[in-house]
Amino acid sequence: MNLSELQSDFQRALFDTECKGADWISESARGLSARDRLDVYYNAYRLRLIDVLMDTFEHTAIYLGDDWFNQLAADFVQSHHSTYKNIGLYGREFPDFLAKQLPDDMEVSELALMDWKLRRAFDGADSAVMTQDDLQQLASEGTCIRLQAVPTLTTCTQQFNTLDIWHGINQEETPPTVEQLPEPIELLIWRKGYSPHFRSLSKIESAAIVCVRSGETLDTIGATLEKEFPEADVATEFGVMLHRWLDDEIIFGVRD
Amino acid sequence: MTSGFGLGLRTEHYNDFLAEPQPVDWLEVISDNYMVDGGKPLAMLDQIRANYPMIMHGVSMSIGSVNGLDKEYLRKLKILEQRVEPMWVSDHLCWSGVHGRNLHDLLPLPYTEEALQVVTRNVEQAQEVLQRPLVLENVSSYVEYESSEMTEWEFLSEVCKATGCRLLLDINNIYVSAFNHDFSPSSFIEGVSVESVTQFHLAGHLDNGDILVDTHDHPVCDGVWDLYREALLRFGYIPTMIERDDNIPSLPELIDELNVARAIADDVLNTKVAL
Repeated sequence: MNLSELQSDFQRALFDTECKGADWISESARGLSARDRLDVYYNAYRLRLIDVLMDTFEHTAIYLGDDWFNQLAADFVQSHHSTYKNIGLYGREFPDFLAKQLPDDMEVSELALMDWKLRRAFDGADSAVMTQDDLQQLASEGTCIRLQAVPTLTTCTQQFNTLDIWHGINQEETPPTVEQLPEPIELLIWRKGYSPHFRSLSKIESAAIVCVRSGETLDTIGATLEKEFPEADVATEFGVMLHRWLDDEIIFGVRD
Repeated sequence: MTSGFGLGLRTEHYNDFLAEPQPVDWLEVISDNYMVDGGKPLAMLDQIRANYPMIMHGVSMSIGSVNGLDKEYLRKLKILEQRVEPMWVSDHLCWSGVHGRNLHDLLPLPYTEEALQVVTRNVEQAQEVLQRPLVLENVSSYVEYESSEMTEWEFLSEVCKATGCRLLLDINNIYVSAFNHDFSPSSFIEGVSVESVTQFHLAGHLDNGDILVDTHDHPVCDGVWDLYREALLRFGYIPTMIERDDNIPSLPELIDELNVARAIADDVLNTKVAL
């Protein structure tokens, strides 16, 4: 057996549904059998990845409880091989997996997606942020300003009261009973300083964020919002939004 | 002699290292934990690096993979190396997956001529990118292969001869593998050339009766301390650290354990000089 065959066989043995042993492992004169020795790696592979999922999807794990979460995580590990060098990225497909496994409990996959995005914001790329002074300086120059979102900024949509469930878990309280929302909410997720942050978005702010992410200038964002929300006082609302974005450190501005 | 003793930097101890100088000569960081885009990990790394020399220790290079090394991984490792400017860069003599899959484990190699050629090719590739000798650590293992043609220490020595790479001897891993595979740990110590060894790791393990498992979640045991004494007698003064990855105690507790290593080194090496 050459090295390529051995490594392929070893890997297949760890991916298998049970540890069956292998004839290319030496039997020892004492201690464990060859099969039990391979089992050390077989179990370690699963435990390591389940631990990573438990760590990444902390709120989801608490919500489901250890037994249920561990079973789902074990099923995920069995059906999803890691293609990542960085073990922390294992679990990218876990929220979708939960959505398929638990179609009647969709708040679980929403919670998992929130856990995932918050974790990714934690060590996402750094960037400069725009301050009130920066904005005033650019405005005083009469420059056309194009806003850009910080690299960690992302959004997710929730159909259920998942946000309240997350808060309940985070405050170590019994989470509220799951309820479908009258209409979906959009959640903004980003990192401020060293800490991931999130908050819900109004419809007009959600539309404004879409404009920012597509690279529109301040002027065109205002025009777009006026067209989409003719009943709104866009000038005032956009001013308040912009102020909040600066406080939240979610944008940096560039001259057009 | 009290210099040359370090610890692995763990997130639990960030604040201790930022708050005041700690009695360690250097810190070893897990490279993979800092091969990220930004945020707190890199900010902490930069702040702590300003006050301590560092060693970069990786767990994902998979130097024994028959498929060769991941070029993107090497590129990111080089970027981190340029940021940290470490004393040296280490990883493990193992493989971690093939065909684009990652098992996230330090799997042992068969000690064959073919594996030697694969490791030699991969070490040369890593050293070409890093522009410095790679330091390879012996792993704990639970299986041996029918196909092996030489001992682990013979294999390591051949890799060093062929590539100019260096060795990080994990004394605990020698102890664990020696128990699991019924060989003399002293043979390992005696079988590695003095010139090739750059660093020692000391760690704890789990004793399951039939097998020892390298968990890094216990204090160093008496048997490993005894083997450390043997290693000091053979290799002399080598930078040494306590490696703890789980069940991580307070920093003062780890420094107390590191001071045991310091005292043993002083004792062994001063006695050797006196003799």
